[in-house]
Amino acid sequence: MAEKTEVWQGTLALMVLKTLESMGPLHGYGVARRIEQISGDRLQLNYGTLYPALLKLEQEGYIRSRWGTSENNRKAKFYELTKAGERRVCKAAAEWEKTTEILARFLTTTEEA
Amino acid sequence: MRKLRAFFLRLIGHARTQRIEDDFAEELESHIAMDTEDGIRAGLTAEEARRQALVRIGGAEQARQRQREQHTLPWIENLLRDLRYALRGFRRNPIFSITAIATLALGIGSTTAVFSVVDRILFRSLPYAYGDRLVSFGLSQPLEPREFTLGFFFFNWRDHQRPFEAVTYERGVGECNITEPNPMQMQCARVADNFFSTLGITPVLGREFTPEEDQPQGPRGMLISYALWSERYNRDPGILDKSIAIDGQSTRIVGVLPQNFEMPRLQHADIVLPAKVDIAHQGTENAGLGVPLWAFARLKQGVTVEQAREQMQPLFEQMRNVIPAQFRNEFHLTVRSLRDRQMHDDYQAAWLLLAAVLAVLLISCANVAGLMAARGTLRQRELTVRMVLGASRKQLLGQALAEAGVLAAAGAITGCLLAWGLLRVFTALAPTGVLFLTKACLDPRVYFFAALLTLACTAICGILPAVQRPRSSSLTARATGSKSHTGLRRILVVAQIGMCVILLSSASLLFESFRNLETQSLGMDAAGALVVHISLAQARYTSSEAYMNFFLRAESALRGLPGVSAVGISDSVPPASDSWHDEMRYPDLVVSGKLRTPASVGGKVNIRRVTPDYFAALGIHLQRGRLFREEDRNQSGSEIILSRTLAVRMFPGEEPIGQHIRIATYMPYFVLNGPLYAVVGVVGDVKNAGLTGQDDPEFYTLRRNRPEDWSSHNELELRTELPASTIAPWIRTQIEHLDPTAPVEVVPMRQTVSRLADRPRFQAALIGFFALCGLLLSVIGLYGVIAFIAAQRTQEIGVRMALGATRANILRLITAEGLRLIAFGSALGVVLSLATARLLQSFLFHVSARAPQSYVAVTILLALVALCATMLPAIRAMKTDPMAALRAE
Repeated sequence: MAEKTEVWQGTLALMVLKTLESMGPLHGYGVARRIEQISGDRLQLNYGTLYPALLKLEQEGYIRSRWGTSENNRKAKFYELTKAGERRVCKAAAEWEKTTEILARFLTTTEEA
Repeated sequence: MRKLRAFFLRLIGHARTQRIEDDFAEELESHIAMDTEDGIRAGLTAEEARRQALVRIGGAEQARQRQREQHTLPWIENLLRDLRYALRGFRRNPIFSITAIATLALGIGSTTAVFSVVDRILFRSLPYAYGDRLVSFGLSQPLEPREFTLGFFFFNWRDHQRPFEAVTYERGVGECNITEPNPMQMQCARVADNFFSTLGITPVLGREFTPEEDQPQGPRGMLISYALWSERYNRDPGILDKSIAIDGQSTRIVGVLPQNFEMPRLQHADIVLPAKVDIAHQGTENAGLGVPLWAFARLKQGVTVEQAREQMQPLFEQMRNVIPAQFRNEFHLTVRSLRDRQMHDDYQAAWLLLAAVLAVLLISCANVAGLMAARGTLRQRELTVRMVLGASRKQLLGQALAEAGVLAAAGAITGCLLAWGLLRVFTALAPTGVLFLTKACLDPRVYFFAALLTLACTAICGILPAVQRPRSSSLTARATGSKSHTGLRRILVVAQIGMCVILLSSASLLFESFRNLETQSLGMDAAGALVVHISLAQARYTSSEAYMNFFLRAESALRGLPGVSAVGISDSVPPASDSWHDEMRYPDLVVSGKLRTPASVGGKVNIRRVTPDYFAALGIHLQRGRLFREEDRNQSGSEIILSRTLAVRMFPGEEPIGQHIRIATYMPYFVLNGPLYAVVGVVGDVKNAGLTGQDDPEFYTLRRNRPEDWSSHNELELRTELPASTIAPWIRTQIEHLDPTAPVEVVPMRQTVSRLADRPRFQAALIGFFALCGLLLSVIGLYGVIAFIAAQRTQEIGVRMALGATRANILRLITAEGLRLIAFGSALGVVLSLATARLLQSFLFHVSARAPQSYVAVTILLALVALCATMLPAIRAMKTDPMAALRAE
């Protein structure tokens, strides 16, 4: 099994938001599986840390939750983005791109030097 | 914003824990079920699939725990737990709790009370919108050290000044009367039309003055005080534009002043009228100097008081020539902040009180920190167990802070009650002891300060003892507690004793000074002397003759009262220096046949115009020559009586009786055309510059039965054997026959003198009280430490006794511990007191701040009391039964 990367601090929230943006309303388990799939199973996500992250986003008003029924007819709590959440995704994604770009530039310069 | 929302939701989360947890349990179950289903679909057994699902979620209980931490605020839970724990601990140990709470209540309560008194002097902003940018400016000179202005200067400055955004003035406060049904005597202030806008005062009702109303012939308008509006007009909003007769002239009410309105010089004012100064005539009125004014200004944004002074100096220099050459050099320009002008010499008194009470607060904090440290030592094993079980240092500190916080909060609540009581005592003790004392109260600002004090006490009492870190070795130690842990407490006790010495020595100096003040000779016999002040409405008494007639009738009416042996009338009375009295410069008294004293030889001389019985009524003794005689009052002549100091100064080594003196006048320029006075007598000096002031020389002239000797300034003096409460109604009845509208004030001279000693009494009593509190607390602290040390050494004492130590040896052993602390503390205190003594000197009257006897007395007192506190535990240790001590192991 290939070595899996732990989820970095602070990135989980963005991944959750982005997942909800692309998938629409989704329950916690679905969010977790989706994140693992997208990463091509290279990320190791402790599902236990996902729920506090969801709760925090909800407390901050970026997502909201309601009880519903899953595809397998099971009762599950579904999460979806709020308007503020949508704005947040755009902003946070842009910030991340900028950060990684800068960081990448640093790394390449160091290698050249 | 989002953070705040999240914080709030988490705070609410505490109240809904159960519902949220149930909800999450369900969500978790649904998650695990889905994960398990996926596992089964992938070919695992149901059991294995569920196991893997649980692993992936990191354990169901852990997940729940994490969720709980997110949906509530964990530190609040910790805090509540710590508080519960602290309360339980204190309930188990009531003596400790009560001692600690009482100690903190004493510290916080007295500090809060003193703060509420000095707040307005030192910190609170003035009740004007532009309070911090307001300055007072004008001329000052030795006769009038508080700055004033003259119209000619002011209007010139107003037109040419640069540092100020706006300048304004007031013309002082005087008696005036509402002359319509239900007449009342009022205090009327006169101010410029831009007075309110410059200072930043907004009327609660109506408007300020218009420029037209400030014109000499303009319409008559006035603003009334909030109190007058409430009491006389029942807060009637329809009062605006009504007209009321003031001194017989109909005046329109244009506005109502705010409740917190104060004149900038703090005079009392019921009514504010426009000043109506005739600006065009300021260059000719009053010998070309203009009318006296008190000027205030608002600094431009960013201009400091110093810069303003520098910029005003050239203007002052230009105008200086107007002042008569003789005393041109005595005049200076003063520009200072309004607060400085108001507080003048009250700053120091306020700081003194605040410093003393802070010392008490520190002593009480040190005491409680010591108590907590002692408790901590006893609980060392418990703390160590908690540490070994994984409590972090932060958690232990949190626990200590929670304990200190509970104590401090309880102390603060009790302290606020104490502060309320103390304030009442302060006010009863000396209503004029310090500026604004009667206005001091516990308002939200003061409570906020008390809350800050509570936090500070919590920090001191919680952190200091927590510095002693429990060591893992104490888990295995056989006896609880170890000797090294008393180090902190010893330091605290030494500091307490040191601070206590400073307080005690300051208190003893202030007491001695107060005693000197009380026992000094006033130069008169205050017991049995009454002063009667009658306010006559100026509208009804328009000439000096009217005043003379009234007071001559009053004199003969009062002479007829039983028990009255003398009735005098004068234009002013000693000993206060701030009540009205006439005065002049010493060089303007010229002895006939001698050269004038150079004008630069300064000093002022008091003038009193009196009737012959004045001396008998006040009990002033004749030293040479004779007093005025009754028959002189109807003859023309010009006798003068000098005070002893003046006689010695004017006629050194000569016989003053029979000499002649002329008095210079300056209207319109220096002339020697006054009457020639013949010296007929010399009387003893009377205190006339307050109780602490240097006595000014004084002379007396006779008030004959002719109008030119009289004015609107009149006081009646009575000598009687009867108590004031008995005779006052009789006096009132007599005066009522003469003028039923005139209010009469009867004040025993004793009371006036006692009022003048208000401030020294206030300071001595307060500092004395604080010193005693400090002493009590320090002694308790010392006792605690020594008792603790003695208890810890019980086994050692047992061994020593078993090995042959006598009881005397043991007594010496324990007492030596205490003595060392007392010696260190006292030495520290004496050194510090001597270093700070200089600061105290200005409060002292006829006492040196370094008077050795007070330091010796204080140190001996402290040492004796402290020794007692040491002896108690030492004697207990001495009685230790060696067998019991050894067996206690």
